[in-house]
Amino acid sequence: MSKTITEQNLRLLVDALLKEGGRVVAPKLAETMTLYEPLATGQELDLTKLPRRSSKETFFPLCETILTFERDEAGVRVGDVDPASFPETVLLGARPCDAAAPSILDAVFSWDYNDEFYLERRRKTTIIGLACTTADDACFCTAVGLSPADTRGSDLFLTPLEGGGYACQAVTDKGKELMEKQAQFFSDAGSEKPLAPAEPAGEPLDLGKIKSWLDGNFENPLWTKIADLCVGCGACAFLCPACHCFDISDEGTEAKGCRRKHWDACGFGKFTNHASGHNPRDVQPQRYRNRIMHKFKYYDDKFGRTLCTGCGRCIRWCPVGIDIAAILQQVEAKVEVE
Amino acid sequence: MNNMAQKIEATTPIDTSSYASATEAIRAEAARLLTEGSVTAVIGYRSGKRAGTAMPAIVTSPEKAAELIFSPSCVNNLALYLTKAKKDIRKTGKVAIVAKGCDIKALAGLMGESQLKREEVVILAVACAGVKGSGAATGEPLTTANIARKCRECTVHTPQGADSVAGSLSTLPELAPLEAEELARLEALTPAERWSFWKKHFSRCVRCLACRQVCPFCYCEQCMCDRNRPQAVETTPRPAGNMAWHIVRAMHLSGRCASCAECERACPMDIPLNLLNRKMAQELKELYGHEAGLKPKEKGPLAEYREDDDQSFIK
Repeated sequence: MSKTITEQNLRLLVDALLKEGGRVVAPKLAETMTLYEPLATGQELDLTKLPRRSSKETFFPLCETILTFERDEAGVRVGDVDPASFPETVLLGARPCDAAAPSILDAVFSWDYNDEFYLERRRKTTIIGLACTTADDACFCTAVGLSPADTRGSDLFLTPLEGGGYACQAVTDKGKELMEKQAQFFSDAGSEKPLAPAEPAGEPLDLGKIKSWLDGNFENPLWTKIADLCVGCGACAFLCPACHCFDISDEGTEAKGCRRKHWDACGFGKFTNHASGHNPRDVQPQRYRNRIMHKFKYYDDKFGRTLCTGCGRCIRWCPVGIDIAAILQQVEAKVEVE
Repeated sequence: MNNMAQKIEATTPIDTSSYASATEAIRAEAARLLTEGSVTAVIGYRSGKRAGTAMPAIVTSPEKAAELIFSPSCVNNLALYLTKAKKDIRKTGKVAIVAKGCDIKALAGLMGESQLKREEVVILAVACAGVKGSGAATGEPLTTANIARKCRECTVHTPQGADSVAGSLSTLPELAPLEAEELARLEALTPAERWSFWKKHFSRCVRCLACRQVCPFCYCEQCMCDRNRPQAVETTPRPAGNMAWHIVRAMHLSGRCASCAECERACPMDIPLNLLNRKMAQELKELYGHEAGLKPKEKGPLAEYREDDDQSFIK
């Protein structure tokens, strides 16, 4: 099913969804940057830029309470958080590199333990993707098998049209349902041409080749070379649409507090620190190696997917200029030589 | 990273023609030092994969010295790589480091804190007209609009006290001190207004700790803010912990911070952290006449007691 929607109607669609009591998360200008945030009105929608942080937080918030506790003379009372209370959500304007991420993450949040906090938000969210018509020199989605017009992970998919407005394609039944329910905002597809998709700079990568090198190079001087520069912050992981590690902290007092689940990053020195004080990844090369291995080997071994969508955020924001696409190129070149 | 205000001025290119000769001088000096074996490594900058970008480089052979560059994208304060946090680099022996004036202040600070001895390092200073601020496109030349905010008020374009100085500068443009103006604006606000200014900024903090990890003075092996047995500061990215973290950071750095503004540059959430550093520096100047400089001082203002210290704050 394919229709078109004008810019104005897209904003009115947001207003209609909000009026029905749902939540609409979409790119919004927040001072100096664009972020995916819940909108208060359709006027706030700003689809001009790739948001600074990815849209993963729609399903996997930066920080959330997973239980509460209280203790007094009568004993300990534990309060559960009921995922049923999570609102119906439309994630609007997710770029292909963001829209594809949850479909990759579903596997990890449901393979042995079903993470209801993540899964319930996923069930309740409809994703309206948006094709990219511009890219910058850090974008490399095409190098990892996606594209600026990739509909993977989207329920509905918007493609900007030459004369303004968007072509809107229903990708899943969920998307079709939304389009039918809100039919008044959509028109039949006319003859307007779509804008040409962006052309990301990243050269194609042979992920199979890269993985085969990683399979045999758990120990390699390359890890030290990169990690000499890495400062061990979490900027790359926290901006990444696919990084999904979290920590759990009990905060509050002995008498009353919360258990919170919050983002963690494998670059942090304490990431794998054991309660005993032993840390199996006690130096940065081991930690940086994990970042690459997890994305391009371990995740593939387990789930048959690469844990990277090529959004380029880690490249743009690494404080010391570490470029994951350049590292992958270097690895691929090693296979040619070795 | 907060470069909103920079857009006000008309954009004029800044003359960086000396950076090419600075690059040549750095390469030659690095190759010489490595060839004669007086250093085991040179910490400098090289080009990134994306055109117009630069990143830190650790060069250990004379042939690789030709990869070193100096450009308006050489933003990092490399002093970080001489701290305890990066101890493996110095294990090999004496090293040379490429340093802008602002970076030399950090080196001097580290020497003052006994983290580094002058004789352990060869300082290859660069005459620097400025580097680009965050948000500048990778291909752009340096202009009065995209120059880093700290560079607008730089007093150490051609630093003294180094082992060599690469490049020489012609006249530099006068630039409006945007950061000082912003600080003055904040100081004129009521405490409640200032509180809401910072609350709003800290609400964006994701606790990636890039501010801490790039700081040459955040070299504690055990940061109090990572402790969880017991927890000193909430580690979750929520208002209470974020506020506490940034206050602890600013207080622990006061009298030590060299104003390189790396914390602000590294922040992916555009929190104007150098305003806090600056405010602390201003207070220390007024109270103790202390200023971060190019020469090591044995004791920082908060590590020393003098009988004539201002004590009016004790009530």
